[in-house]
This record gives sequence, structure tokens and C-alpha cells, in this order.
Amino acid sequence: MSRSETPTNWIRMNPGIDLQASFVQALTDLGLPPVAAKILWLPLPMLLMIVGATVGVLASVWLERKISAAAQQRIGPEFIGPLGTLAPLADGLKLLFKEDVIPNKADPFLFTLGPVIVAIPVFLSYLIVPFGQNLIITDLGIAIFIWIAVSSIQPIGLLMSGYASNNKYSLLGGLRAAAQSISYEIPLALSVLAIAMMSNSLSTIDIVNQQAGYGILGWNVWRQPIGFIIFWIAILAECERLPFDLPEAEEELVAGYQTEYTGMKFALYYLASYVNLVLSSLLFAVLYLGGWEFIVPVGVIADLIGVSETTPWLQLITATLGITMTLLKAYFLVFLAVLLRWTVPRVRIDQLLDLGWKFLLPIALTNLLLTAGLKLAFPFAFGG
Amino acid sequence: MKFLNQVKEYAKESVQAAKYIGQGLSVTFDHMRRRPITVQYPYEKLIPSERFRGRIHFEFDKCIACEVCVRVCPINLPVVDWEFNKETKKKKLNHYSIDFGVCIFCGNCVEFCPTNCLSMTEEYELAAYDRHELNYDNVALGRLPYKVTNDPMVTPIREFAYLPKGAIDGHEVAHTAPRAGKRPEEIMDEMDRENK
Repeated sequence: MSRSETPTNWIRMNPGIDLQASFVQALTDLGLPPVAAKILWLPLPMLLMIVGATVGVLASVWLERKISAAAQQRIGPEFIGPLGTLAPLADGLKLLFKEDVIPNKADPFLFTLGPVIVAIPVFLSYLIVPFGQNLIITDLGIAIFIWIAVSSIQPIGLLMSGYASNNKYSLLGGLRAAAQSISYEIPLALSVLAIAMMSNSLSTIDIVNQQAGYGILGWNVWRQPIGFIIFWIAILAECERLPFDLPEAEEELVAGYQTEYTGMKFALYYLASYVNLVLSSLLFAVLYLGGWEFIVPVGVIADLIGVSETTPWLQLITATLGITMTLLKAYFLVFLAVLLRWTVPRVRIDQLLDLGWKFLLPIALTNLLLTAGLKLAFPFAFGG
Repeated sequence: MKFLNQVKEYAKESVQAAKYIGQGLSVTFDHMRRRPITVQYPYEKLIPSERFRGRIHFEFDKCIACEVCVRVCPINLPVVDWEFNKETKKKKLNHYSIDFGVCIFCGNCVEFCPTNCLSMTEEYELAAYDRHELNYDNVALGRLPYKVTNDPMVTPIREFAYLPKGAIDGHEVAHTAPRAGKRPEEIMDEMDRENK
């Protein structure tokens, strides 16, 4: 189902900037055949995605260290680059130069495959993160579904590396990670389902457009307050952030499934966990906080000052604002995650599974039912 | 009815848990606006407290080679090398040394020294490339440490107990500002005035 076929109820459609069309147009004007122009375009978004995700990780690692330090009345990284901004880069470089050790009696193939399987799906999921009407790698009709499907590959990689490490801590960590991921995937999917039900689409673009038009009042937080909390808790569990970081649990399991890893393989885990955090925050912003929408709808401001929405400079401003808003919202959530990390203690494994199965799952189901009921009763507000 | 009550109780507990987490978050958030207590070591240093037990100072000329320091030391650490001078009928001290790689800085030797030739200094930067360098002889023991307050490269910061009244952070007040309460000499002056 593509966007044009979906029955959406967005208030108005902002054409925005179409980079691909402009790029292809520019190259065809230079005399290239359109097919060649398209092929030239292809690697650009991919490269942009990988670079963007990595820069996002560097920023969030720096933020994590600085915010953690502030919450503990420390200073944090200070001398590596201005305000310590290069500290995560230094971390990465250090890991790059480290010796790659595969423990004796470990299964070398699975041991190497584990981090790869964990890292690829999270990078892949960046395909569906929209920063504007056309500022997205691919506008899939099943975008959110792809994210959920792809992110459930992760526990296989975790289990694989935990098993292949030939270490009891790794095995325990891997098993815990798998159990955790599987049990929190379900409430996560259910709360996303409620959103999809309201927007009649799984496409991230449609989901944002469904929230557009009324500024901050139109965002899904107000329509899905329960789903909002369920989603946040499930996200924290999926990313193995602190209240639910049992698989790593430094104090109990050394480092869980990462215990035997060094060098680039460890770096892949590290990268994947932060990419996942940023990605989840971005999707959280898209699903509940109106994605690229500004607090006041941009269209209204444009009408007020009497500028047409197709004006190039306005489109540029809208696109910039969209990217800024998406990132701001996402990083606000990253901030919240870091703050939570230093506030709540780690739960036990039985408490974790209790919370997932006995609390979140029934609440998520009730929320879904409630949304369905509200959709029938108030189709104008809940996407009839 | 019973089921509804259970649901009510459960909801109540959930709300309470959420409230407590919110309170915790506000505490953490409040900490973010407080000044870091970090003392940035090579550039800032804490002024050691009055009774700080640092590297031991030894005055060679005062020593009577009684070896009390050796006897009170938990591990008999000080090495006192003396010989009996038959003419003066006195012990003559040749060498004295303490190995700070082994010393636990308990201060017993300082406490028991009859002539006060031993004393604790505020020096704590004893890093060396070789552990034998930590074995101080009487010359090394006789050196006085360089004061933090005299070092132009270092910002001295006082510990909490030495701050003026009301101040809670050593970063925020000059280290020369008078501390809370009276200094011993002030108390002495006051007592003198009362006696007159």
C-alpha cells in the first residue's frame, strides 16, 4: 500500500522539498540519462544514513557522559575537544586500534556473526525515520512494521554471541537479553498498533501527517497517554537502558554477552546500543510527539505572514525546522533516558518479566481496545 | 466487586510508583544545576587538613637514636643506624631512613618521639618510577614539602570544614577568607583579655 492509495485524514499536504527529484533533474539537465542519474543518487541516502546514525551516536554518547556527570555533580569529559565533544570519537578510535581477540574454545564464526547481526538491523531501521515530508530514505507502506520485524532479529544475535563466547556470564547475559527483548516486543507492538489504527496506515509519513495541523495539541501524546508510557517503558527495555539493563548488569554479570568482546566487535555492540537508543527516540518522536511538526503549525504562520507554501525559501526553512524539531524531540527523550538511568534502580529478572507480561501486556491490550472504541465513538478525533 | 477492588488497588499502586519515580527524577534533575564538586587535580588542589598525615619529616640533629619510633612502629620500619661514642658516652646517629613504600602513615613514631624530631607533613604526592625511590634517607626526610598555597600553578581549595560560615563549596570562596569559628590564637587572645 503506497501513500497515494491510503485513505488519510491529514489536514493539508505540504509538498516540501524533494531532494531526489531535484538531484535527478539537475543531472538529466547536464546530459545524463535519467537511469544513470537515479543510480548516482542511490548511494547518497545510504551514506547519509550511516554517517547520520554515527554522528547521532557520537552526540548521544557525549550527551550521556555530560548529563551523567551533571546529575552526579561531576564535570565529565572536558579537555578532549571543546567541552569534551571529541571524547566519544577518542573512544571509537581506541577500540579501532585494539587487538581483536577471539577466546580459546569459542565458536569463532558465531562469535563474529553475533555483533554483525545485532548492528545491521538497527542501522537498517533508519530507512524509515522521516525528517520531513520528503526527507526520508524510503517511504514504505509498512514502515513501522518493518522496524518491529527487523528489531526482533536482534535477540538472535545477542543469544548467538552469548552462546558462542564460551563463558557463563555471556551465556546468562545472552539468555536474559533474549527473554527481555521477546517479552517487551509485544507491548511495544501493541502500543504501535493503537497508533497505526488511528492513522489507518503503518507509514511513518502518514502517522506524522495524521498528527499535523493543530501544532502541539494534535500530537498523539494527548490521544495515547497510556500507549505513550507503555511505549517508553518498552523502548527502555528494548535498548537495555538502565532500569532494564539486566543483560549487561555490570555488577552481576561482568558485562553480560559483551564480556568476551574487544576491539571493533565490542565497538559494534556499543554503537548498536546507542544507535538503537537514538533510533527509538526518533521513532518515539514520530509516533507520539508529532515528528517534524513544530509546536505551532508552520502552515498557519505562513498564512499569517502571507507567504505561499510553495515559496522556495519557506520550504527550506520548513525542512530545516523539521529536521531540528525531530532531532530536538529525539534528544529530549535521550536526555530523559539518561536522567532515568541515574534515578531508578535496576529491576530483578523476575520483576522485569512480571512488569512485561503481567502489567504492560494487559494494559497495552486494554489501550488498544480503548482506542478502537474511541475511534468508533469519535471518528473525527481518533482517525475514523 | 472483589475484582474491581483489586483493579482499584493495583491502579493506586501503579500511580504511587509513578509518583515516586517522578520524585526521584526531580531530585536527579535538581542535581544538574548544582556546581560540580570536582577538584581538577593538577590545576586545583585541596589544602590538606591540619592533622593530615602525609610524608614524615625528620630532623637529624634532634634525634637521640632512642629507637622508640622503631618500637612503636607496627612493622618496625624506621632504620636507625647509630654507634656508641665512647668518649662522650653518647649514641651517635649515622643514618636514619623510612621506606614510604611500606609505611602506613599511622603516625605512631611521630606521637612517641621524645624529642619531637619526627613530624607529619602535608605532602602526599609520593609517586615514583621505582619502589626503591620511596626509601627516604635522612636527607630526603629532612626536606620540607612545597605548600599548595605557594604554588602559582595551582588554585588551592579548602575542605568543607575549613570554609567560612555558610559556604559549602571551596570553589566559591577565596582560600584566604577567614574560616568559621575561632582560630586557636584568637581563643588564646580572648582568654588573656578575660584574665586581665
